[in-house]
Amino acid sequence: MAALAKDLFRALEDIVGPENISDDPAVLDSYRYSLSHTAIHIGPFFDTFTPRGAAVLLPGSTKEVQAIVKLCNKHKIKFKASSTFWSAQGYPSEDNTIQLDMRRMDRILEIDQKNMFAVIEPGVLGATLQAEAMKVGLNTHIPGSGCSCSTLASATSYFGSGPSNLFAGWHYENLLGLEWVMPTGDVLRTGSLGSGCGWFCGEGPGPSVKGVCRGFLGSKGSMGVYTKCAIKLFAWPGPRTLPIEGSAPAYKTRLPDNFKAYTVAFPSWQAWADAAHLIWETGIGYLAHRQFNMFGRDLKFAMVKILTDPTRTLGDLEELLEDPEVRKVTEQSKRDFQIVLVGMTRRDTEWQEKVLAEILARTGGWKVEAMNEPDIHDWTLLYLIRLGHKNLNLVFGGSYDGCFGLLGAVDFGASHAEEAAEFKKEWEKHGAVVQAGGDCMMGPIGGQGGGGTGLWENFTCFDPYDQESTDGTLQFFDACTEFGLSKGWGVGMEKWNAVARGRDGKTTPKEERDRMHRAAPQPSVFRYQHKVREAFNPNDLGDAYYETLDD
Amino acid sequence: MALEDFAAEMDRCSQCSYCKWIPFDQMKSWRFAKNCPSIAYHNFNSYAARGRYAVARSLIKGHSGYSDTVRRIVFTCLACGSCDVSCKICRYNLEPLEMVRELKFKLVQDGQGLDKHKAVLESLQKERNTMGRLNAQRGEWADSLDVPRLPSQKAEVLFHAGCRYSYDPDLQSSARVAVELLKKAGVAVGIMGGREICCGGRVYSMGYKEEFARLARANLSAWAEAGVKTVVTSCADGYHAFKRLYPQLGSQVEALHTVELVDRLLKAGKLKLRSEVPLRVTYHDPCHLGRQGEPYVPWRGVEKKIKKQIIVYEPKRPRYNGAWGVYDPPRDILKAIPGLELVEMERTREYSWCCGAGGGVREAYPEYADWTAGERIAEARATGAEALVSACPWCQRSFRDALHARGEAMKVYDIVELVQKAL
Repeated sequence: MAALAKDLFRALEDIVGPENISDDPAVLDSYRYSLSHTAIHIGPFFDTFTPRGAAVLLPGSTKEVQAIVKLCNKHKIKFKASSTFWSAQGYPSEDNTIQLDMRRMDRILEIDQKNMFAVIEPGVLGATLQAEAMKVGLNTHIPGSGCSCSTLASATSYFGSGPSNLFAGWHYENLLGLEWVMPTGDVLRTGSLGSGCGWFCGEGPGPSVKGVCRGFLGSKGSMGVYTKCAIKLFAWPGPRTLPIEGSAPAYKTRLPDNFKAYTVAFPSWQAWADAAHLIWETGIGYLAHRQFNMFGRDLKFAMVKILTDPTRTLGDLEELLEDPEVRKVTEQSKRDFQIVLVGMTRRDTEWQEKVLAEILARTGGWKVEAMNEPDIHDWTLLYLIRLGHKNLNLVFGGSYDGCFGLLGAVDFGASHAEEAAEFKKEWEKHGAVVQAGGDCMMGPIGGQGGGGTGLWENFTCFDPYDQESTDGTLQFFDACTEFGLSKGWGVGMEKWNAVARGRDGKTTPKEERDRMHRAAPQPSVFRYQHKVREAFNPNDLGDAYYETLDD
Repeated sequence: MALEDFAAEMDRCSQCSYCKWIPFDQMKSWRFAKNCPSIAYHNFNSYAARGRYAVARSLIKGHSGYSDTVRRIVFTCLACGSCDVSCKICRYNLEPLEMVRELKFKLVQDGQGLDKHKAVLESLQKERNTMGRLNAQRGEWADSLDVPRLPSQKAEVLFHAGCRYSYDPDLQSSARVAVELLKKAGVAVGIMGGREICCGGRVYSMGYKEEFARLARANLSAWAEAGVKTVVTSCADGYHAFKRLYPQLGSQVEALHTVELVDRLLKAGKLKLRSEVPLRVTYHDPCHLGRQGEPYVPWRGVEKKIKKQIIVYEPKRPRYNGAWGVYDPPRDILKAIPGLELVEMERTREYSWCCGAGGGVREAYPEYADWTAGERIAEARATGAEALVSACPWCQRSFRDALHARGEAMKVYDIVELVQKAL
């Protein structure tokens, strides 16, 4: 890594102040991401980190961001902004990149109760926005990465899928007016904001460039910096503050009778998919997610028992797995998902309950009664509403990633879920990954606009400190890709970002990227994005997470 | 343990940033959502537990070296343990607080300690207290008390005042009140007076573990000589040292905080509160009494894997995550006081915000310590309380100083002062 030239460092320091810039190697190393963790969706690569940045800056305003970006253009130096640094996508792919940590820009500027939106800065988390929105009877969609993540980043730089897709759509659909420091340093205000009409609309009156700046599945920090946005909020017919009971970590919330969390299970995958369709058709549900199956088909109920009892630890797992009651519930909930019903009125509550009962009757499904035990129910409700335990993804050994995966109709997923699970179950015997029962498929029941699709991934957990585990996981993921292609399922989630970042933690070589993009179902998307990048990012100061093809 | 023993944790920390926030389930507002004063003040990742794991890894791998920045990153940790609670919402195989303590030990061993901490060490070695005062003055706080002086006189219950209560003229009366309360309830309590020495807790959290061990052994030896079975203290730092650290050196002496004993005495009817104290108060959980006040459980064991890659321990390892700290006794005492209204701050119990005095921060970084205390005062004010109550002299000193620096008025009490008013 080349050190930043002293005059450039000083110029940057003048912008943000000396307390908000650092090029100390130890600080820079706390802004590198371990690819042993995989982290959405490449690798894992043992003992490999994203490149060390040239400097980390903590801008405090749009004006400062703009000045930094202009300086980067002047010196042709790459920059990358991240708000909450949850995954490798938020970290540089090239040496000598200026890193912008947006943490200081963390204000909720406005909550427009009447028009149901909030205006936020990048550092606002799902949790803080939710806590403030609830005070005025509103709620925010929280992405699958959990409430520790930036709402703005989820909406602008990724696609923001999560359990409340069912009611609240994906976060990119919730993006309204946006303030964008473009890769050149110019500021563009989009939608209604751009025509001085306020924040209420992302697509006009005013510049409708959401597709341009976000690109395919979000620009992932590669196309300038988003400094403010308005985000849609949704109805919250609950208390103004979540009433929390219980001891850490087994917190739970007891909400009024218009809130119910159920775990429902089905005799076949077809019945499972039919139920999802019926839920969409009838419009019931506030959240729906296959959540706890992330621990694995064989382990999930034992894990629920551990997580809902503050005296238990992972050391109790084997004993619990021998418990006949746990075994019975585990068997009952093989093909399950969680659904939260929230009634806006008493009649609505009663109606949703009746509809769910009818859906279960038609599909042969059932409620998993053990999950209705009050402490477990109240824990489930809190878990899904706040999504504040999402890093249980990493509970076993410290790392996970999703393989196979589905973004599409649930019938498609249902058709290959069991086969993929069996494939994984065989690999689990090799020892590199957690032996969890093969089926660790998890994800939302509902996609764009609330229904029609599901988004699943088959969680694979491993130990990033153990080279045999990490290398073995990579071999497994390679095998998944091969298996998925042989079955006509396409490349799985395990390789989604292989097109952007390679095994050395740096940008995937161009020839490899071009090969992958040409093989994609719609390569013209990437050719179009190439033209966008040329127009908006002429000095190419982002990285390959904004995917382009220039042939 | 050595820093290298945490190498696996350094790799297994998933950089999720939970360590920067109170448990998300407990968030009630944007304003009071942060848990770690260090990252809240400095903002760079390096100042949170996740960043300190990365810094430690970088150091032991030789990817970076010591610098003023590294020293600041390490020694601005208040050792308050809030990161530890939040991390363990989802993790069972990381010990961020232990790792940061080990990082401090490593810097001290490598001669990277701070000059301001060395001054405290000098005071300890010369005068056996952390306050830079003469040892000969240590017992003066208790001159008016008619209680046995150990070890020349005997008592099974020892009240340990600690450095701050012994020397801080604004706070000494609380120590006297505590002893008087115990006496009134019939507890045969004694004190060491001028022979008392520092518990060592504060230098331990600065990174001086050998000095801590020396002090601990000296105290244990003095207690043995005096026949002490139970040590009671009103200082949360001291309590933590006696409850969690001394047993690691073989202590069998029961450790109680004054609030635990007073709560028991009230519930047993040995103290009766009859006078109205018409006051709206909020209670600040001291870190070392609350989340770090969990009982010590001896453990020796090894890591093993089940289900191929799930990390567990053989035998089962005790879990310190703040769930079992001392939270209810002080609240029960306050609720027992006639006319007194207790209102809670947003960050309470295991996810309480630190007062700013811990980890040697008060001694080395007074501005940052003041800011930390100021944040807590703002939170206390938001409850509408007239007074801020705590159970640790270091917290009280921090709050009083921060209020003074801001020219603000708010009453700050030790909990025993309110009990005394209510008798």
